[in-house]
Amino acid sequence: MFNSEVSKSAFGKSVLAAALFAVSSFAFAADANGIGKTITEQAIAPWNISVHFDGDGLPAGKGSVAQGEPIYQAKCAMCHGEFGEGAKGYPKMLGETVEHMTELAKKGEDTVGVRGINSLWGHAPTLYDYIRRAMPFFAPQSLSNDEAYATTCYVLYIAEIVKDDKLVCDASVLKATKMPSQDNFYTDPRPDVKNARCMKDCAKGDPVVTQMAVQGVSGDTSRNVAKPANH
Amino acid sequence: MSDKNITVPVNIDEQAVANQTRRSFLRKSVAVAGGAVVAAVAANQASAAAQVTEPLAIPPTNKILGRGVVSIPYGLPSKFEAHVVRRNVEWLTPDTIASISFTPMQDLEGIITPSGLHFERHHGGAVDIDPKTHRLVVHGLVEKPMIFTIEDLKRFPQKSGFWFLECPANGAMEWNGVQMDSVQFTHGMVSCTEWVGVSLLDIMKAVGVKKEATWFFGEGADGAALQRSVPLPGAKDQFGKPISDFDANTIYKDIIVAYAQNGEALRPENGYPIRLIVPGCEANMSVKWLRRLKFVDKPLVTYQETRHYTDGMKDGRFRQYTLVNETNSVVTFPCPDKKMSGKGSYEIRGLAWSGRGKIKAVDVSVDGGKTWTEAKLVDPVFSKCFTRFTLPWEWDGKEALVMSRAMDETGYVQPTLKQLIDERGTSGIYHKNSIQTWKVSANGEVHNVQLRSL
Ligand code: HEC
Repeated sequence: MFNSEVSKSAFGKSVLAAALFAVSSFAFAADANGIGKTITEQAIAPWNISVHFDGDGLPAGKGSVAQGEPIYQAKCAMCHGEFGEGAKGYPKMLGETVEHMTELAKKGEDTVGVRGINSLWGHAPTLYDYIRRAMPFFAPQSLSNDEAYATTCYVLYIAEIVKDDKLVCDASVLKATKMPSQDNFYTDPRPDVKNARCMKDCAKGDPVVTQMAVQGVSGDTSRNVAKPANH
Repeated sequence: MSDKNITVPVNIDEQAVANQTRRSFLRKSVAVAGGAVVAAVAANQASAAAQVTEPLAIPPTNKILGRGVVSIPYGLPSKFEAHVVRRNVEWLTPDTIASISFTPMQDLEGIITPSGLHFERHHGGAVDIDPKTHRLVVHGLVEKPMIFTIEDLKRFPQKSGFWFLECPANGAMEWNGVQMDSVQFTHGMVSCTEWVGVSLLDIMKAVGVKKEATWFFGEGADGAALQRSVPLPGAKDQFGKPISDFDANTIYKDIIVAYAQNGEALRPENGYPIRLIVPGCEANMSVKWLRRLKFVDKPLVTYQETRHYTDGMKDGRFRQYTLVNETNSVVTFPCPDKKMSGKGSYEIRGLAWSGRGKIKAVDVSVDGGKTWTEAKLVDPVFSKCFTRFTLPWEWDGKEALVMSRAMDETGYVQPTLKQLIDERGTSGIYHKNSIQTWKVSANGEVHNVQLRSL
């Protein structure tokens, strides 16, 4: 099914053009001849570190909750809190439970500031992937595979996702670990709202202006009126 | 001295006043103009009938020689435009490394965002990458895994387009009420650029993507090594449910690996030397500092696809793969950053954009949404690109509620905030594309308001 799409691309058109002008001594067909080199999977391996949700891509190795503790306390706690409660505005490891967060959402209360690994994270293998590729923030990709397993194991423990403080994490353990919010996602159903293009008599009575910004917020970051939205 | 006789200049920049070479020239007009502003605003007088009688001063720049060519080898904006800058909101993020800055929408003209004003969103800071050593690897479900230099990529046929990029968090601070009294902060996580690069389709052909590939992902060479899954035909989510036809069958066809922006190399903050551009989609997918494309048969469901960039709904669940930025628009004049200066003739101006195609129409209301008038769309109107709209306005000096409502070529009409909140609740963070209202007061001030009644 791709082939038909690809043939519509610039190459496809140029090949056709080249065929029409085949009398020319030059080849005007655009192709990838001589562009780039092939590469072996072995050569790509140091970059090929992505782990899928189902654990595909997890490396060999292992690390325990106990081995993760000193790493976390030395390299992570300053930003994510000794107990995973977050620090200095950096994300929490331990947020509200999925059940409580759902209750808050149903009551129309804010759930932005209460999220943690326990309430909003798809799968344990991608937690490993993220910690290995991006943390600690000041030195990304500095943890060995085993250290990343140990730190992931410890984060799962302080986020109260696993209860066993003797746990040793490896590929098979992470694949088997169920995240509390794993099934809490669903794929985009938009467009979900339908506005009409009304031109006249669109609102009854005078519009009610319900909210007005605090004057002068613009450009003045010291003045704010509410909690941060966390992207 | 008569205030009535003076119409120009009304708004003298403080910096201009301080400028030594212009000081004597300006001294008089500033004083007079200052009076004129007060008089005009207080009495709300139209200046149409005002007349200049005082003989004009010769501008001092008429009497000097200016700078020679290449005294500034790479040109910079006028020093009087120093207020036109990207800005951040300190309390939004704990540091500026994993953070965001906003484009000054109030100062944009036309449809192109100057490269140095493009909003920034980094997850591990902006890095400086040597194009000589940078490589793009393309592998996974392909016949021939390949590695390309930047020079290699430039040998492919070029593909370019004018496309907007929008962070799906644009407007995120406003779900629970008004917070930002500035169009820079309510709408500045969007920019529009001419991007130039290589078609993804050509790269796919070069490596021979196998038909089992239903997704690919891009990955950055920055400290975040940011990765994001993009659907291809046949894409299913992690539960086995298909991604929508539009997303799976159309998004990938426009994608390019870009190396240039507005006529020059990408700026470092925008991904130099190469980045993905996924037109119409949340900008997080357009991975910067791109080092790798991998073709796969399932999504990653990574950090950026669960913890970030999912929309919290009022039933407690989270929408994922909300990829397309739906139709949005905003009036950029008047706006809180650009106030009115006395009653009379104005042109209401703004920008509209849609991730699903071209803007078909923009309607403007000045009475809080009771009546709407179709604005003029300024050429060119491109797909998945900023579209400029204008509407002449005779302001009577009375309070007005100014709004714009865009419709795209699919017939989708930009919603009200109430419609979004009724459907989704207020904890979604992302994809807030609702109609914006500015309140123009009789004194000419403009403020951000919300009309939740609508
Ligand atoms: C200097 C502060 C800092 C340190 C130290 C740090 N992090 Fe982070 N961490 C961050 C920031 C900032 C983010 C969000 C990044 C973004 O917005 O993309 C983050 C995000 C995370 C997340 C995702 C959480 C979420 O909800 O967004 C995890 C998990 C994490 N860090 C684990 C770790 C681990 C494990 C370590 C130690 C090995 C560590 N971090 C060290 C700053 C830090």
